[in-house]
Amino acid sequence: MTTKYWDAYEPDAKAPWNLLRVVHLHRRAAFAAPWDDLQRDVKAGPGAAVERLLKGESTAHTPADFALTAGVLTDAAASVGDLNRLKAAWFYRMLFGPDPVRERLALLWHDHFATGNAKVNNVGAMRRQSDLFRTHARDRFAVLLNAVVRDPALLEYLDAPANRRGHPNENLARELMELFTLGVGNYTEDDVKNAARCLTGWGVEENAFAERPERHDDGEKTVLGRTGKWTGTDLVNQLLRHPATATRLARKLVAAFFGESACPDDAVQELATGLRARDLDVSGAVGTVLRSRLFFAEANVRSRVAAPAEFVVGSARALGLFDPAPSTLAMADWSARMGQDLFDPPNVGGWLGGRAWINSRALIARANYAAALIEGPNAGRRDAYDPAAAAQSAGFGTARADVLTYHHRLLFGTDPGAEIGTRLARLDGRKLVIALLSAPEAQLG
Amino acid sequence: MLTRRSLLKSAPLLALAPTVPAFLARTARAAGPGPDARVLVVLQLDGGNDALNTVVPFADPEYAKLRPRLRIGAARVVKLNDALGLHPALKPLDELWTGGRLAVVPGVGYPNPSRSHFESMAIWHTARFGAEETRTSYGWLGRALDSGGGESCVVSPEAPQAVRGRRAAAVSLTRTADLLLADPDAVKAAVGAPAQQADDVLAFVRRQASDAVASAEKVEAMTREKSGAPYPASGLGQKLKLVARLLKAGSGSRVYYATQGGYDTHAQQPFAHANLVSEFADAVAAFFADLTAAQVADRVALLAFSEFGRTIRENDSAGTDHGTAGCVFVAGPGVGGGVIGTAPSLTDLTAGEPKMTTDFRRVYAAALSEWLGLPAKGLGEPMPPVGVFRK
Repeated sequence: MTTKYWDAYEPDAKAPWNLLRVVHLHRRAAFAAPWDDLQRDVKAGPGAAVERLLKGESTAHTPADFALTAGVLTDAAASVGDLNRLKAAWFYRMLFGPDPVRERLALLWHDHFATGNAKVNNVGAMRRQSDLFRTHARDRFAVLLNAVVRDPALLEYLDAPANRRGHPNENLARELMELFTLGVGNYTEDDVKNAARCLTGWGVEENAFAERPERHDDGEKTVLGRTGKWTGTDLVNQLLRHPATATRLARKLVAAFFGESACPDDAVQELATGLRARDLDVSGAVGTVLRSRLFFAEANVRSRVAAPAEFVVGSARALGLFDPAPSTLAMADWSARMGQDLFDPPNVGGWLGGRAWINSRALIARANYAAALIEGPNAGRRDAYDPAAAAQSAGFGTARADVLTYHHRLLFGTDPGAEIGTRLARLDGRKLVIALLSAPEAQLG
Repeated sequence: MLTRRSLLKSAPLLALAPTVPAFLARTARAAGPGPDARVLVVLQLDGGNDALNTVVPFADPEYAKLRPRLRIGAARVVKLNDALGLHPALKPLDELWTGGRLAVVPGVGYPNPSRSHFESMAIWHTARFGAEETRTSYGWLGRALDSGGGESCVVSPEAPQAVRGRRAAAVSLTRTADLLLADPDAVKAAVGAPAQQADDVLAFVRRQASDAVASAEKVEAMTREKSGAPYPASGLGQKLKLVARLLKAGSGSRVYYATQGGYDTHAQQPFAHANLVSEFADAVAAFFADLTAAQVADRVALLAFSEFGRTIRENDSAGTDHGTAGCVFVAGPGVGGGVIGTAPSLTDLTAGEPKMTTDFRRVYAAALSEWLGLPAKGLGEPMPPVGVFRK
C-alpha cells in the first residue's frame, strides 16, 4: 500500500515525535499506557514504539501468569453461566494483557458482528464468540468472517437454525449483507431472499455449527447478478470479493483509529483498495494505519470520543493501577453505565459510537467512575490513589503544581495550559485528578 | 481545518449537536413550557412488533389461513369490536380501553416500506425518506422541540435520532442515581464554560458536559420524593416508573422516550410475543394508575410504535419475518378512545403484505399539533392529523 495518503510517518518540525504523540498512539491504538511505557517509547522513537504495539509484546505490568489467569477467569464465568463474570474476564484482558491492539480489535469485531446474550442466552456460546474475535482479531477478513458466520452465538442471534429449504428465514442473510459485508445500497431485496436460500441448512447442533444437506435448498439462486446452485460458502466468498466489502471494512478501521474528519474519504478508498489488493488482510491495514503520517497528524490528535470500555480501561492503565487493580466486575458495570454493556449491544447494528457516546448520563457516569477509581472502594480498590506519591515516583515533586503537571502530561501528553490551570485552580490532591479525568478533554483520545 | 461543511459531509448525524448549551436555552425559555405543560411519552417497541397478533382481526377467515399455528382465536382476544381484538396478554389495557382512553390505530406505515430494522426505524425517527435524508436529518421530535421550546428526556443510555434537534436537548438516564454526581465540585471545575460557537468535537463535549452538570443539579432537587405506586419489576415497568417519578417531581421535559426491545420474533414466536406484550401492557397500566393517583395523568399521552409489522403469513419456524405497516397505540385521558382508521385488508396485498391505511406522519401530526401544541410543519408535507385526541 504505497500511496500518497498512507505514507509512513517520519518525525519533523511540524509533527515531532514527542510525549503528545506517544500518548496519542497508546490511547488510540491500545487503551493508554502508564508513565514508564510512555517514557520508554519517547526514547525508542516511532518505529520501535509502533512495532512493539503491532507485535503485541509483553509489557512490564502484565502479570507472569496472565494467560493462565485470564483462561481460568473465562472458564469459570462460562462454567457457572455468569455473564457479569464473563464481562469481567474481558476487562481483565484489556487491563493487563500484553497485546492491547488485539483486545482493541476484538472489541471492534464485537461491535461489527454485534450479538447480544439477551437473545442468545448462552454464556458459553458468548464466551466462544469473544475468543473467536480475539483469535482472529488481525487475521484476513475472510478467515474472521467465515468463522463468525459459523459461530453458534451469532447463528442463534440471527435465527439461522430456523432457515431451511422452502421456508427461508432472512435474518442472517440480511444482516450479513447489510452490516457484515456490503452495506445498504449494494444489494436488493431479491438478493436478500436468494442469499437466505444459499444459507438454508446452516444451524447449530450441540453448541456447534452444523450444515445439514437435507435442509439446504440446492436449487439455482441469483445473488448480485450471478446465478448458480450456490451454497452458504459460495455466498460468503462472493460477498468477500465484492468491492463494497473492502470499503466497509476500511471505514470500520478508520472509525476505530481516526477522529472526526481526520481521515479524508479518498484515503478511506485508498485503504480499501489496499485491502482488496492484499486479500482483506486486517493486520496489514492496521499496520498501514498506525505507521502513517495521517495517523500522527495534528488533526487526528484528541479528536475522537473514547468509547466507554476504552475510557474505563485507559484511565486505570494510564494511572498505573495494576496492583491493587480496580475490580474488573466493577469496570464492566461502569462501562455499561456509560452506555457500553459488553455482550449486550443495543441491537445487531452495534453501538452508534462517536458523539452518540456523549450525553448527560454517560458524562456523569464517566465523572463518577473517575471519582470511584481515585477514591477506591466504588471501583473495588481498598486504597485511594495517592497523586503526590505517583508524581514523586515518576521523578516529579509533590507540590500541587508538580502533581498537576505530572498528571496532565500523563493523560494528555502536554503541560497544562493557562485555561485548564484557571479552571482547576482551587483543586488539589485527589480532587485535582478526578477533575482531570472528568474534563471534556479526557473523554477524547 | 474542520469546517462545518466537512463535518456535515463526514459525520452528518454527529453534527446534530445543539449549538446553544441546552441549559442556557432552557433558562431563556423558562417562560415557555411550565410544569403544567402537556407531555408526550413515546414508547418504541424495538424489532418489529407483530401487528396482526397484537390487534387481531379474529373474524376474518383469511387471518386463520395465514396463521395456521400462530393464530389467536376469537374466544381468547380482548374484543374491541366485532372484527378486532387485542392479544389476550394485553388484557391489562382493558381499563384504559373501556374508559375511552386508548386509541388503537391499525395499518400505520409509510409508502414503499423498507424491511431493514435500521432504515425503517430511521424513517420513523426522522419522518424523512431515503438513506441520505434519514442519515442526516434531525428527528421528528427534535425538530418540533427546536421550534416550540422544551427538552426531552430519554430513559435509555443513548438518545435516539427521533429526539435529536439543532437546539433541543435530550437528557438521558436509566436510574435516578445515574444523574447524580459523586463529586460535583471537582466536576464543575473541570467542565468550565462551554464554547458557544465551535463545532468541533471538544466544543461538543464541553456543551454536553455543562448540560450534564446542570442536569445533575436539577435531578437532585427533583427526585427526593418517594413513590409508593406498584410497578411490575420488568425493565419497561421500571423505566415508566422513573418517567412517572420525574413527572410527579415537576420535570420540565415535554417528551419522554423509552424503548422495549425483543420484538424481532423470527422463530418460536408465541411465548416470546405474549411475554413482550404482557410486559408492555402491565407497565402502561401501572403507569397510568400511578399518574392518575398523583393527579398528573391529564398532562400525559403515551404513543407506542414499532418500526414495522411482521409478515402476515407465519414462517415455518413458528415465527414471522420483517413486514410492513404496523399498529400504533395512543393512550391517556386526553385521548379519544376507539379503533381509529381502518384495519388493512388481508387479501388486497402488495408484495405479499397489506397496504398501509394510515400514514405514520398523520399520527405524528396529531401528537405534535393537537396534543403538544407544537408546529407539525417539519413532517415533509402537510399531514392531516389523525383523530386520536379529544377536541
